[in-house]
Amino acid sequence: MLCHARLRGDYAKVPRMNRTKVTASPLATMSLLLLLLGAAETAGAKPWWLRGVESNETDFLPPDVAFRVGARADGEVLKVRWVIADGYYLYRQKIEVKAESPDLQVFAPQLPHGVTKTDPYFGTQEIYTQQVEVGVPFTRLDAGAHPIQIKVTYQGCAEAGLCYPPITKVVFPDAGFKPSAPSVSAHPWEGMAILAGVFAFLLAGLVLRKGRKLDIPA
Amino acid sequence: MNHTGLRLTGAAVVALLAIWAGARLYMIRSGPAHRGVAVPAGMASAPNPGDIAAPDAQALDLALPHPKVPALLPAFSLSDLKGKATPISVWSGKSLVINFWATWCAPCRREIPLLKTVASEWAGRDITVVGIAVDYQDKVLDFAREFKIDYPLLIGEQDALDVAAKFGMDSPALPFTVFTDRRGEVVTLFVGELHRPQADLILSVVQSLNQDRVQLQEARRTLAEGLAAILQNRAG
Repeated sequence: MLCHARLRGDYAKVPRMNRTKVTASPLATMSLLLLLLGAAETAGAKPWWLRGVESNETDFLPPDVAFRVGARADGEVLKVRWVIADGYYLYRQKIEVKAESPDLQVFAPQLPHGVTKTDPYFGTQEIYTQQVEVGVPFTRLDAGAHPIQIKVTYQGCAEAGLCYPPITKVVFPDAGFKPSAPSVSAHPWEGMAILAGVFAFLLAGLVLRKGRKLDIPA
Repeated sequence: MNHTGLRLTGAAVVALLAIWAGARLYMIRSGPAHRGVAVPAGMASAPNPGDIAAPDAQALDLALPHPKVPALLPAFSLSDLKGKATPISVWSGKSLVINFWATWCAPCRREIPLLKTVASEWAGRDITVVGIAVDYQDKVLDFAREFKIDYPLLIGEQDALDVAAKFGMDSPALPFTVFTDRRGEVVTLFVGELHRPQADLILSVVQSLNQDRVQLQEARRTLAEGLAAILQNRAG
């Protein structure tokens, strides 16, 4: 750790006689990096003693992963598309598209036919699986001065027996089709690991430079 | 090997390691995005198999996180069918089967007959079923009448969602069912539609706990193994 403490400071301030200790740094840095990356990879899988009461939760996807929505403008029609994970479905009659940005007027969505699903306790419903694209005619009253924003509402379930409450999202069709799956947040160790990588390069340079003098022309 | 050679080797190792570290971080960070939908605007046509393939939840670590289920039944109060505030503590001393459901949820509706059966079968053994409807009161009243639900029901909208959050279900998906022993310890939280084999297994373990025949940790282990076996049988 002595070497790493020095790395955080100014190398030039380390007395010359002590600089030889830095030659041990590649191994120490390597160990540090391995440790950091090991932590980064295993932190996602929590050990059982940190999880509290067990549940079977991991069998199901979060709604934003099960149902991903995006939209694009195609002439006078907005095309709203859902990509649905295997084993999940959306209810046709629960899909709504409304204008969110000012001066945008949207008309009734053109919902394609889905698959008929009959449940003795829930009746017959039309559902969408895999993916569905819905056309929504629109007009703009501001000749394009505002970016288009729409508000979409949808509701779906997992075949395995789980339903999600209705989801409402604001979508920007002009931005093209973008999956709404949540971005995986940066790993807590990521910044540390990147810093360690930068220091490793710095160290590599110092190791190579040791004992040499800069040959700067006058 | 002389000093220069050693230094060069050391520097090369460090540099390679840094490159490898960068590559690993890039993969950790961007992996799921690569598997996401990648159809550019204006080019949607036939489905791209990559678009519709179910994400490998475990590999991507994208599955619903394990909820932080409390060890003990939290205190809360919700309205009953008549609108009277009812604290959960009115059933203290009993094992509870607390089922979160809604009328708009098909699997929740499918569970009701099983819950009615469980309620009547286990009533004499100090196990009580309590339904918590995350729904509008009029809809629940109509449904309860139609399905002749004879176990206690509590109803709420945002307040019921708040109660769900107390069980670690911050972004609730329904149904889910909490099982407690007579001491109010949460034995398990079951997410998704409950079926007869699972209900029987969980309730038999709860009964063993109530009769002090097993310890809580052992009971949870038995449940985890038993539920996994049932799931495997269903899949097979």
